[in-house]
Amino acid sequence: MSAFVLAFVVGALFALGTFLLLRRDLIRVVWGLAIVSQAANVYLLAMGGIELGGFETVPILASHGEGVPETTDPVVQALVLTAIVIGFGMTAFALVLSYRVYEEHDTLDASELGDRE
Amino acid sequence: MPPELSVVLAVVTAPFAVAGVTPLLIRSLGEKTGYAGAAVAAFCFALLGTQYGSEGTVELAWIPSLEVALRFYVDGWALLFALLASGIGALVFLYSPAYMHGESGLARYYAALLAFMGSIIGIALAADLIAIFLFWELTSLCSFVLIGFHTDDASSQYAARMAMLVTVGGGLFVLVGFLLLAFVAGDVVGPGTSAFDLAAMLNRPDEMQTALREAGLFVPVLGLLAVGAATKSAQVPLHFWLPNAMAAPTPVSAFLHSATMVKVGVYFVGRIRPLFASLEWVMLFATLGLATMTICALLAVAATDIKELLAYSTASHLGLMIAGFGFTSIVGAETGVFHLFNHALFKAALFLIAGIIAHETGTRRLDELGGLRHDLPVTAFLTAIVALSMGGIPPFSGFYSKELLFEATVEASHHHDLGPLDWLYPVVAVFGSIFTVLYSLRFLALFFGRQPDSLDHVHRPPVILLVSPAVLAALTAVVSIDPELAVRAIVQAGIDATAVDPGTHEMHVGLPTSYSPAVGMSAVAIGSGVLAYPFYDSIHRSIRSIPRTVPPIGANWWYDAIIERLTDDGAWLASRVHNGLLRTYATWTLTATCVLALAGFVATDAAIPTALAGLDVPIPAALVLSLAVVAGLAVVTADSHVAGILTLSILGFMIAIFYILASAPDLALTQLVVETLVLVIFLLVVEEIPEYYEVSLGRIARDAALSVLVGATAFITVLLTTDARPVGESAIARYYTEHAVPEGGGQNIVNVILVDFRSFDTLGELVVIAVAAISILTLIVMRARGDETRSDESSVAIEDAEGGSANEPRESHETRGESE
Repeated sequence: MSAFVLAFVVGALFALGTFLLLRRDLIRVVWGLAIVSQAANVYLLAMGGIELGGFETVPILASHGEGVPETTDPVVQALVLTAIVIGFGMTAFALVLSYRVYEEHDTLDASELGDRE
Repeated sequence: MPPELSVVLAVVTAPFAVAGVTPLLIRSLGEKTGYAGAAVAAFCFALLGTQYGSEGTVELAWIPSLEVALRFYVDGWALLFALLASGIGALVFLYSPAYMHGESGLARYYAALLAFMGSIIGIALAADLIAIFLFWELTSLCSFVLIGFHTDDASSQYAARMAMLVTVGGGLFVLVGFLLLAFVAGDVVGPGTSAFDLAAMLNRPDEMQTALREAGLFVPVLGLLAVGAATKSAQVPLHFWLPNAMAAPTPVSAFLHSATMVKVGVYFVGRIRPLFASLEWVMLFATLGLATMTICALLAVAATDIKELLAYSTASHLGLMIAGFGFTSIVGAETGVFHLFNHALFKAALFLIAGIIAHETGTRRLDELGGLRHDLPVTAFLTAIVALSMGGIPPFSGFYSKELLFEATVEASHHHDLGPLDWLYPVVAVFGSIFTVLYSLRFLALFFGRQPDSLDHVHRPPVILLVSPAVLAALTAVVSIDPELAVRAIVQAGIDATAVDPGTHEMHVGLPTSYSPAVGMSAVAIGSGVLAYPFYDSIHRSIRSIPRTVPPIGANWWYDAIIERLTDDGAWLASRVHNGLLRTYATWTLTATCVLALAGFVATDAAIPTALAGLDVPIPAALVLSLAVVAGLAVVTADSHVAGILTLSILGFMIAIFYILASAPDLALTQLVVETLVLVIFLLVVEEIPEYYEVSLGRIARDAALSVLVGATAFITVLLTTDARPVGESAIARYYTEHAVPEGGGQNIVNVILVDFRSFDTLGELVVIAVAAISILTLIVMRARGDETRSDESSVAIEDAEGGSANEPRESHETRGESE
């Protein structure tokens, strides 16, 4: 089934993130990165199929018994979980790097920093 | 007799192995390393000698899945070339220590020279197209290092770059030609044999040619391989790198011009000759060769420098060999093989002699040299043998092979219908030969006539410098006296391998005893050359004046124009794409990605699904997601940092709720923790930074357009990919679901995947987080420490430079180093 709503949301988040990426303020650039990675996560999860949460669909088995039920795709969830954690590391690092740049150069203007090269 | 794999491998690998330990040899032997190199070359020569008379293929598996093997094919032609490379290599190594006395960078010199020799032997013996290509490019690489040996000399750098660009570029043509050849060969050589096996193709020349023609690839493959051979063997109009390559030290020139690099193209043309022999072949190579022979002979007469003269003469003689191989008759093969052999001997000797002259007189200019026979009598005697051989004067060795060329040009019309080329080929061959006679006499004349006054102190060369040219001149003399000896020893075997219908003809050469067209042509060429010699200076001047009046006629002019244009365009492009601004990089990267992705969709005719079958996500999830988008909009429009951070958090928490609704509780938990942490960190950092507002809004429209492009690409991609998703559970998901409890012992499948099935991935993830944490710690903590050391240093700097101004640049330099 095609996914117009998901496609719209992912597209909109990508567009907003890109717009922020192109700002001159480094802090806003970091926001842009964060939004783009959120959008990518939603997209990845969508590839596994979205089903309203419930006892049967959550990828947690009820028992140790035979005959496991069909749940939502656990593989994409594992991938997204990794991506969230890595995205956190990246955002935190980019933020501290920006902070450090500000301390050194007294500015967060990416254009001004670029001109100093 | 089949060849021995171990021996062949030893021959090919020994030079490379010793090249690797050259720095150690230099440390223990110093300048005498050259003799060690000579020993290696002699070792290779001797090992190759043990394979004399053998023929066959040996191979060592290399990349079995791609059918690529280190496959070597030994026959008379391969042995001839490999023996020349190692034999002349040994003499060049013997000559080097005395010539290179006192130079620095000897480790680089000897290592590159050894690797160079190894690559040439590799090309000679390799029978696998991939291996041939690798050795082919290795020779280009080694010659780059050798030509550019004087790294601080601009002309040397220029020549090295030129040789590299031309020959490596030609190598790429060869690669494409090889791939097409292998594509066709796959069907011809049949299953069980690799499509890259050149020896197998050579066993079925007629079938290969038919298959190539049926595939319509005959002319393209021939053309591609010809471009490669022409760049290596300096054929017009790609000959210009060779005279420039004389910037290399003279022993390198001797090696490069006689037995190695430039012969690779000729060798290869001889090798593939049986596969391609046809009318097109004649038209291409005979024309190319004769044109090169004539034009480069003219340029050699125009030369003002003894090495330049020899360099152009090399190109001219290469043209002769190519032309010889270009004629499909057996005489053509005889010309190519015999002249390759003769030329290697006399040209190596001539370059080594040029080295002696330059070494002892301190100049290489033709007009400053003369009358050297008094000071250099032995050298003069050696020069007489080899220079007359180069000029093709009977009874010297060059005469026999040139006579064969004349015969081949006359005979050409017996084999193919050539139209006007029928008489043009012999005429051009004779015309070019007149100039060969002229420049050969000119070189010899260095030793005769009056000695210019500027040359008052000419030293006698050390005996060791004379050994190598003497050996080569002696061999030339032997071939001159008894050419049949050389033919029986090695040349006949080479002809059998390169002839179109081998084994049908026995070669005989000797001084002519009766009149034939070839004898007449020789007489005309030599007679005209000798008669024209008194007018050498005016001929020299008139040829020189041509490129000065019409610059585009010189190949160098084209090369310079193209390189200059490429450099300018490259600089312009770099200034546009790489200007130090983050937004520029982001713009180019994002635009390129989007355009490529969309182009991919268009190219594959992907249709955007239009069937709107209700909502694809549950309504609560859709609501939460639209809230996230609204939060995103608020982030973009936020006018203060705090507002932006809070709205960004709303976005994150909305996504977390979406995860809950989308049956992903683990993701939701992680997302909640991460969002909380990010919020805290953002607030901590922002507290330290003053509010910052966008200064200019000038680029808003452009940025918005790019954002819409990215968003649209993402939209289309999601639509297309989710639509193409297979229905139902994937096999891999099923596997993990079923095995979670029995193998992982856990009911939470996602967790079991992360910590059991894919635990190494999780370990990698943890490493990333740890590295990020350490980096953050470093960035924050080291700042304080950096301040301490900097204040220490700057106090010293102030003392030294009496003032704060000297300390300013140092500070900025240091901080940049740290932030990297």
